[in-house]
Amino acid sequence: MLPRALLVASVAALGIPALACAPARDATRIAVAGGSLTEIVYLLGAQDRIVAVDTTSNYPEAATALPSVGYVRNLSVEGLLSLSPSLILGEDDMGPPAVLDQLAQAGVETVRVAEQHDPEGIFGKIACIGEVLGMGDEADARVEDLRAVADRLAAYREVSERSPRVAMLLNLRDGAPVAAGDNTSGGGFLRMAGARNVFPSIDGWKPVSPEAFAAANPDVIVIPERGVRALGGVADVASHPSLRLTSAARNGRIVVMDGMAMLGFGPRTLEAALDFATRLHGPVVGESE
Amino acid sequence: MVRRIRIIVLLGAALIAALWYALVTGAVPISLATLFEDSDAGAFQRMVFAEIRSPRVVLAAFVGSSLALAGASLQGLFRNPLADPGVIGVSSGAALGAIAMIVLGGALDIPNWLEPYVLPLAAVAGGGLVTAFIYLFARRFGQFSIVTILLLGIAVNALAGVGIGAFQYLSDDAQLRTLTFWMMGSFGRATWLAVLPAVALMALAGIFLFGQQRALDRLQLGEAEARHVGVDVKRVKRLTVMMSAVAAGAGVAVAGVIGFVGLVVPHLARLIGGAAHGFVLPASVFLGGALMVCADLVARTVVVPAELPVGLVTSAIGAPFFLWLIARARPR
Repeated sequence: MLPRALLVASVAALGIPALACAPARDATRIAVAGGSLTEIVYLLGAQDRIVAVDTTSNYPEAATALPSVGYVRNLSVEGLLSLSPSLILGEDDMGPPAVLDQLAQAGVETVRVAEQHDPEGIFGKIACIGEVLGMGDEADARVEDLRAVADRLAAYREVSERSPRVAMLLNLRDGAPVAAGDNTSGGGFLRMAGARNVFPSIDGWKPVSPEAFAAANPDVIVIPERGVRALGGVADVASHPSLRLTSAARNGRIVVMDGMAMLGFGPRTLEAALDFATRLHGPVVGESE
Repeated sequence: MVRRIRIIVLLGAALIAALWYALVTGAVPISLATLFEDSDAGAFQRMVFAEIRSPRVVLAAFVGSSLALAGASLQGLFRNPLADPGVIGVSSGAALGAIAMIVLGGALDIPNWLEPYVLPLAAVAGGGLVTAFIYLFARRFGQFSIVTILLLGIAVNALAGVGIGAFQYLSDDAQLRTLTFWMMGSFGRATWLAVLPAVALMALAGIFLFGQQRALDRLQLGEAEARHVGVDVKRVKRLTVMMSAVAAGAGVAVAGVIGFVGLVVPHLARLIGGAAHGFVLPASVFLGGALMVCADLVARTVVVPAELPVGLVTSAIGAPFFLWLIARARPR
């Protein structure tokens, strides 16, 4: 149980953002802005209360059939109000601010759920939504289940003393690979999977030049499905002029995964990180999988 | 003359009809009966009507009118059918100002009451600075001639593009998405607080531009000829450029970049009733307002409960229309 103790201690040291999560006045008609939050509402079994989602809510599949109020950062105020929600659950980056002001004016309760790119951040989101929906016990139970996954991830981090060096790409638009630096969901995902980001000095998602990419020479490249599809296929990624000089491309170590699963920081992200860690490090000694 | 007045009255009626239809249509169904009811439903509908839909429709009408008026005035001034508020740098300048604020604004300590005005002010400042630069540069290093201005506009737009690109590079994920949507234009951020100052500026600039119609007519003969019939050409240029910048800049500041209205609407007006500015200016105002209100109506009703960026709608209508104009002008 040492890894988990370490994990908890390190998170406590970082400080979990204070969550302003209190039971909602009326949580019967919920509009959700944010893919990870939709996922959590489904996880808690409260999906019957959802009246609308945003365009990033594509999991589970059923959520895509719900009315869409637009992109999480570009919500439509009248569109939202037309569905007469009693509560709006929003990701940290929901907006624009003018729309949020108007929603407040209209008297709709809005809860903004904090974002933090590590397992505790995911647990925090679940606990927060559990609190808001009055489903604290369910939330605690789900968090307990997921802690098991987080523990296995932590075990990986221990065995990987000299962690593989990984580049997380968003896409290869216009020829330049857009890579995750520090302070990104991608960077957080790599950390969770016990991988070292080859671009720790970049802040945010940035296009990286072919030479810088060759110099960074990642052992493994991980890229969302959507980014690969735009390019053609995995073979096209490996032969891409910017990437083909890296040892990842030469050794065919290019991992393609569901983008929202990796970067959404909902419950799925833990599973995705574990999946990625398994592919990265191989099975942990003593585990049957 | 009578025919033209009749057309202008008709266009005015079209604008009023568009305003009416836009005010009663939207994602939230509003019925006149409930609107005046003393009930929760009535209060809710009044709130949506008065605080969300009205400012938005009013802003759309004013922005459409101002962009079209600025475009018509500049096309008249430059005697060039390709002129629009973009050529004097006001659109790209405003975009640069707004994007700088989106990316760098977080670092500033801005008091809460100022918050709604910061982005529009930055956009107005950016648009004003770039236009003033073009104007002063042209006066200092060339004649303030049409060709000089058009070429300067191209160069300065390219420079502003560099600035915009640099800020895009510096921005983080969230800022990037904010400014992408800003560049596509939207009236979704309209609140009375933001709308009223912009509307006042646009109305003021509009009055000045209307005052130029006679001078613009005379300018069509050529600058020297206009001077001979008593037009203070320098003053007309200065006023028209500056007031067009204010009219377009105030609109861009609150609604983001909205393409093609300033370019296409004046052509449409000339097509209906001829090139005299006494007709083209008021016709552009009514037509621009009506078209923009309709474009916004489309933007906010086709994908309910979400909405499209309105700049997407205007460009989608404007670009094919422009192609049609080109095909029509082909010598036979």
